[in-house]
Amino acid sequence: MCKKFGTGNWPPALQEIIDEFSEIEDQMERLEILFDYSEEIDELPPAEWSESTIVHGCQSEAHVKVTFSPENGFHLVGAADAKLVQGLIAVTSIGLEGLSLEEVVNFSPDFTSEMGLMNILTPSRANGFRNMLRKIKEDTKGLKE
Amino acid sequence: MVFDPYTWRKDFPILNRILPNGKPLVYLDNSATTQKPSCVIDAMSRYYSEYNSNVHRAVHTLSSEATDAYEGARKMIADWFGLTDGNLLFTSGTTEAINLVAHSWGRANLSKGDAIVLTEMEHHSDIVPWQMLAEEVGVEIRWVPFDKENFQLDMGAFEISLEGAKLVCCIHTSNVLGIRNPIEEIITLAHNVGARVLIDAAQAAPHDRIGISELGADFVAVSAHKMSGPTGIGALFVNTETLTEMKPFLGGGDMIREVFLDHSTYQEGSFKFEAGTPKIAEAIGWAEAVKWLSNIGFESSHAHSIKLARKVADAFRSIPGMTVLGKQDNADAPLISFIHDTLHAEDMAQMLDAHGIAVRTGHHCAQPLLRSLGLASTNRASFYLYNTEEEADFLIETVQKLIERFS
Repeated sequence: MCKKFGTGNWPPALQEIIDEFSEIEDQMERLEILFDYSEEIDELPPAEWSESTIVHGCQSEAHVKVTFSPENGFHLVGAADAKLVQGLIAVTSIGLEGLSLEEVVNFSPDFTSEMGLMNILTPSRANGFRNMLRKIKEDTKGLKE
Repeated sequence: MVFDPYTWRKDFPILNRILPNGKPLVYLDNSATTQKPSCVIDAMSRYYSEYNSNVHRAVHTLSSEATDAYEGARKMIADWFGLTDGNLLFTSGTTEAINLVAHSWGRANLSKGDAIVLTEMEHHSDIVPWQMLAEEVGVEIRWVPFDKENFQLDMGAFEISLEGAKLVCCIHTSNVLGIRNPIEEIITLAHNVGARVLIDAAQAAPHDRIGISELGADFVAVSAHKMSGPTGIGALFVNTETLTEMKPFLGGGDMIREVFLDHSTYQEGSFKFEAGTPKIAEAIGWAEAVKWLSNIGFESSHAHSIKLARKVADAFRSIPGMTVLGKQDNADAPLISFIHDTLHAEDMAQMLDAHGIAVRTGHHCAQPLLRSLGLASTNRASFYLYNTEEEADFLIETVQKLIERFS
């Protein structure tokens, strides 16, 4: 059955991250944690970066690739030349891991606001994040269950 | 006498600001725009609250007061820049000034096959208008490279490029490298072959007392906001001979003398190029900035800022993996473009911001320059007379700490 994820109803792994971030007041500490999350992603090697993986409208170079298997569900791989951007991709990948295609397409972007990230990201990065999520959803629409 | 930034710093209310993250502001983005002293803010506010009126062509008191202030501002700014013979055209800034030359002088005096000389160091504002003109009328653009080790323009290549050139456009002081180019030599060599010369002095005006008439360039473009003045205003200085070769750019408002159904006649001199209601409050604010600057020893304030830039540059050069552009010589602009091998420029800037430090990040509107160095972006810290040694030390300390932790 398709669940609609949003405020008050996030996948448990993402809820843990939201709780971790929301306990922190200090801007620098939040960035440090985001930086550390950049290591937590299934990294897309630069050799696989291409026009089909690039996130347009992002100031740094960011790439994402979506896959799906009936056994393990949705999986996101990605990378960016800026670690904070890669951290954002990583958090997104943790949130979306194992979901159905429909759940990914309907996933709310509000988790970044709940993490307190939208206040500390520059407008261009916040915009880049929205573009990334849009691309993930668009690419997911092209996958088959 | 030793320059004391604290004496002048108190004139800038914004420098006492505590940011939303609780950190005091350390403003090191002065090459993008400087902060404004209270007197500039007050002068603009006074215009709006006491004598706001359109200038010229009215006989009421407010308009006379506004006209006196506006034309008085033009005189004061012209005097500051040592304009003894020539014209000051108010523009919205350096970019509009260069576009004005391309549209007004370029279209009237350049045609297919003519050559324009530009340098690899130019800001986009001094590249794109010429590319647009090249596309439209077929002029040839010749590029002068610079040495990638010592950042000096290749003057040999410059001399070769001059053959048959009609116009030379050169940035006085690079906004990425801080390098002050040999402008006097460039003007002389260009004039020797009969070429007109345009100097983009946006980054020079805050640090170098440019004597426009003495310099002898045909066109000089500056922006007010990089020298304590307001945004939205700048100037194009044009010598009188060259002005006669220029056709109007924008039509209407202040630039007309008489309008008939079948034709119009135009004002003479600067007015011919100032269409519409001018930037009245901005001109008044800029004049106030110039008045404020005239109380400060320009040489000692620049010596102070370049010393800070050199201190930071020296410290950064000792950090493994750090690339620092420019030379931070005495005549250069007090700025440092830097990039670390493993810490992305945007990550660095975002984390500096978390410490309250404002620096600029990106291509600095000089993509050909950065590309020629194999770079896509850098961080840039730029100093002004109100920056302190403590702020420079804090930048060094914070960058070192961030690199240790995150690279």
